[in-house]
Order: sequence, then C-alpha cells, then structure tokens
Amino acid sequence: MGLAARFLEKKGFSTVVLTPNHHFHRAVGIPRSAAIEHPYGRLLGQVGDQKGQREVLLKALPILEEAQSPGEIRHLPFTWPEDPKKTDWHPPAMSPVIKLYLNDLKEARKREAEKAKERKGQTL
Amino acid sequence: MEEMKKRVDGYRFLPPSLAAWIRTFIPEGDFDGSIPWTPLAKSLSSASVALVTSAGISLKSDPPFDMEREKREPLWGDRTLREIPRETTEETIDANHLHINTDYVKQDINVMLPLRRMEELEQEGFIGHLADTAYSFYGFQWENTDFLAEAIEPMSKKMKKEGVDAVFLTPA
Repeated sequence: MGLAARFLEKKGFSTVVLTPNHHFHRAVGIPRSAAIEHPYGRLLGQVGDQKGQREVLLKALPILEEAQSPGEIRHLPFTWPEDPKKTDWHPPAMSPVIKLYLNDLKEARKREAEKAKERKGQTL
Repeated sequence: MEEMKKRVDGYRFLPPSLAAWIRTFIPEGDFDGSIPWTPLAKSLSSASVALVTSAGISLKSDPPFDMEREKREPLWGDRTLREIPRETTEETIDANHLHINTDYVKQDINVMLPLRRMEELEQEGFIGHLADTAYSFYGFQWENTDFLAEAIEPMSKKMKKEGVDAVFLTPA
C-alpha cells in the first residue's frame, strides 16, 4: 500500500492510509497515515457497526486537510473490544510466505527474547 | 484532546513470532528518503474522494485474484487491479486473500471498503463527492515496479478522468 500511496501523491492526489501497523508504514515513507488498533481485515470496525465505521472515517479523513508534513502519522483513539487472540483475522491456512519463512520467524522471536534477557541482566 | 493521546500498538494483533520477524525489516529512526506530497488543494467538504483497498475484493462478474500461483510461488502476489463501482454491495463481491480472513468483508464490505459510510458522508456534506469507482488490488507487493505500471498507473489515470482529489487507502 506504501507503493500505491507514494505513486498517487506523485501523480497529484492527496492520500491517507488507514494503517494497522504504523511501525512498518513509517519505514516505507507513507505520506499521511491514520494508525488504528483494529485487526487486519476489519480496519473500519466490526461487521454491521455503522456507527463505529463512521467514527473511524470522521477521524481519519480530516488528516487529508490537517497533516502538516510528509510522513505524518496520527494515532486514532479507538480500542478494539475483543481480546486479540479472539479476533480470528488469520486466513484459514498459514500463508505461503509465512510457511516459507517459519524458521526465520522462530529465530527472530528467539533473538528478541535473548536480547530482552540481556537487557534485564544489565539492569540488575 | 485526551482521546488523541492514544499510542497505537501496531503489533497488538500479531502472534509474537510474526511481530518479531516484521521488526527485523524495520530500521531504527525515521524514514530518511523523500516522501512525495500533494497538499489537498480544496476543502474536504468540496473534494472528490476515491477508496482503494488491498483486501483482494473483486466483483463476482470479474476474475478472482490468483491464489493458486502464490501457493506455488510464495513470494509472488497477484498484481492485477479490479474496479469496484461505488454502488457495489456484499451481494456482488468475492474476496480472496491468503493473508487475512476474508469472511468479514464478504459479510459487510464496509469493514475494508466503506462505500456506504462514504455515501452517507457525501450526503451530509462532510466530503464533496465519493468517486464513481473504487479500486481493489492484492497486497503483498514487494518493491515491484511492474505492479505500479500494471495496476497503479491505470488506476491513477481513471482517477484523473473521474476528477478525484484525494484517496483513502485500506491495506490488508
């Protein structure tokens, strides 16, 4: 989505991306972002929640007018009501790329755990 | 003002190993390249806004996004584009994506492509106009210049033709 937003800005359109992972989108230089803590696949809100979906748009669209500089990220105030483990946003089967890099995922987690342990040791 | 102080946790819904892996791709510090920027030339209440999603939505009358090739080639993602007329409802769409659960968008298109909500905001004058055409493609495009030429450039041309000023994008 970063590629598309950047391309569209170059072509003379103002854009805003409703992003579930602003950390990643910051790294790819998105012009304007509305960061939201909603699960993947339901960024606007729950099925049938017209009021909630509307509130997201009312907060996100004004960023088009109000953002002052490229790369601006505005954090939206919404909280998803379900426990993350119960949101069921995953596809029915593990995606091919995750399957391909499964060992890398496990390694990345292991390295983070080791670093956290080291940091803890340094502060004791 | 208090409500705007929330700091969104972009990893909240990810399994810890996937979150850790994604973090390996994110450099520390701010983005150091140039970021393209087009200021909105008019007020939102007079602007024409188009919707774009990468949720893999297609009309039932169009070909679905290609999931089978990605299963064979895990680093490949379908780079084609689908046009979605603004009056489209759940009844006339399909959604195919190997990275998200598409059940929700098939029940309520607005959870990713908020056509009905934008029509309401148009009627109320909050936005000037909802563009006649919305667009869907498939996420999972790494640095892919073919994707820009084959999907995003044609989309931008149609947007120009329809007088679009601003674009609201929802990634899958």
